[in-house]
Amino acid sequence: MAKTIMVVDDSASLRQVVGIALKGAGYDVVEAMDGMDALSKLKGQKINLVVCDVNMPNMDGITFVKEIKQLPNYKFTPVIMLTTESQEAKKKEGQAAGAKAWVVKPFKPEVLLGAVAKLVLP
Amino acid sequence: MALFWPGAGWLGILGALAFIAVGVAAWLQLGVAAPAGRDDVPAYLEQRQAFSEAVMPVWCRQIEASRSQMEDAVAELAGRFSGIVDKLDTALHLSSATDHGEASLSQVFSHSETQLGEVVATMKAALESKHAMLARIRELEQFTRELRDMAEGVASIAAQTNLLALNAAIEAARAGPAGRGFAVVAQEVRHLSNRSAETGRSISDRVNKISSAIVSACHAATESSAAEDEAMRSSEGTIDNVLREFRNLTDAMAQSSELLKQESVAIKGEVGEALVQLQFQDRVSQMLGHVHHNMEMLPVVMDENRRNYEAGAGLQAPDAQVLLGELEKTYAMAEEHAIHRGEMATAKASDEVTFF
Repeated sequence: MAKTIMVVDDSASLRQVVGIALKGAGYDVVEAMDGMDALSKLKGQKINLVVCDVNMPNMDGITFVKEIKQLPNYKFTPVIMLTTESQEAKKKEGQAAGAKAWVVKPFKPEVLLGAVAKLVLP
Repeated sequence: MALFWPGAGWLGILGALAFIAVGVAAWLQLGVAAPAGRDDVPAYLEQRQAFSEAVMPVWCRQIEASRSQMEDAVAELAGRFSGIVDKLDTALHLSSATDHGEASLSQVFSHSETQLGEVVATMKAALESKHAMLARIRELEQFTRELRDMAEGVASIAAQTNLLALNAAIEAARAGPAGRGFAVVAQEVRHLSNRSAETGRSISDRVNKISSAIVSACHAATESSAAEDEAMRSSEGTIDNVLREFRNLTDAMAQSSELLKQESVAIKGEVGEALVQLQFQDRVSQMLGHVHHNMEMLPVVMDENRRNYEAGAGLQAPDAQVLLGELEKTYAMAEEHAIHRGEMATAKASDEVTFF
């Protein structure tokens, strides 16, 4: 059974791009347009990993990671931050929130897939 | 909808931004070049405020519309790439199923070849059996020759017995009354020899008929066997031809399947490159968003400048650093900082992953 990955990004084209890369590697993809949307779509879903943008309206990525870590069912779900932000301070924020990896856009598909393969839950 | 390549959109939008920046700078300089008369200053500041409030929303709407159109176009482009990748995957899956599935073409071919080989072997065995039977029938012909010789032997013995009986009758007549009994025996022997001769002829006739029937059957069987040999060779040739054509077809299909796989790998590589290029839209969109947000603050800065004048702080040039400082705070990319400093900036796909 294919593993499911949630892609959270306010850019529809970025969600498509990430979706193409992940689906091509055999993953199922659930899309969300921001942190709030992602939290609402988590319910009832088995999510093996989350790929999340940082700068988004309504709820940014860092806040979303903090929120998901409070949910018993998703406490251990790994989150990869996928963002244009490359400052060390932002990375530290992501790490403190509970993210497992930080990938800078524009990413090479094989780089993201390598990180996903390493972190995705069985 | 007209689609544009993200790289081209990127350059076009940067050009537009530069154009707007030049316009804003010129306008700010006009603002610094205060009117000649002191009495005209409040009216000038009022008009400047109205100007900024009229122009800025239009500029911002244009930027936002460009951003939105670009987002829609790139999303559609990405969707089409997604469709291409899906179709490729489907084609590859079908091709792979043909190569590795239970009923793959090469397996069907091997199975058919084996089965047809068995049919040919069975037919050959039947023909061999028929040839053996024909040989046995030819042996019967030899037996009939022997029977004919034996019948001729019987006829010869009958003729000699008859001659012997005739001599015995002559000798019995010469003996007179004493040989009368012997003459009767000689007469009976002659009857027996005649009957033996007749039986011999009858056997000979029957043997001839049987021999003729066997020769006729042998002839028919030989002709039939030759026809069957020819049919067998023809069938074998036809089966070989069919198998060769089938083999050519399966080889061609295997080659085309392999070619499809190679092309698919190459296309997937190209799509991977395209995925990187498509992401530049997101960067451009973010940069436009930051500039848009900063431009919206310009009327506020102008208004504050006017209020300061009205409060008696004197006529001062609007401070560009206020806006630029706010703009810098919104930057997310190293590239934006470099552009801000007037440096050349290039963005390329990152290989780096930071694991925590």
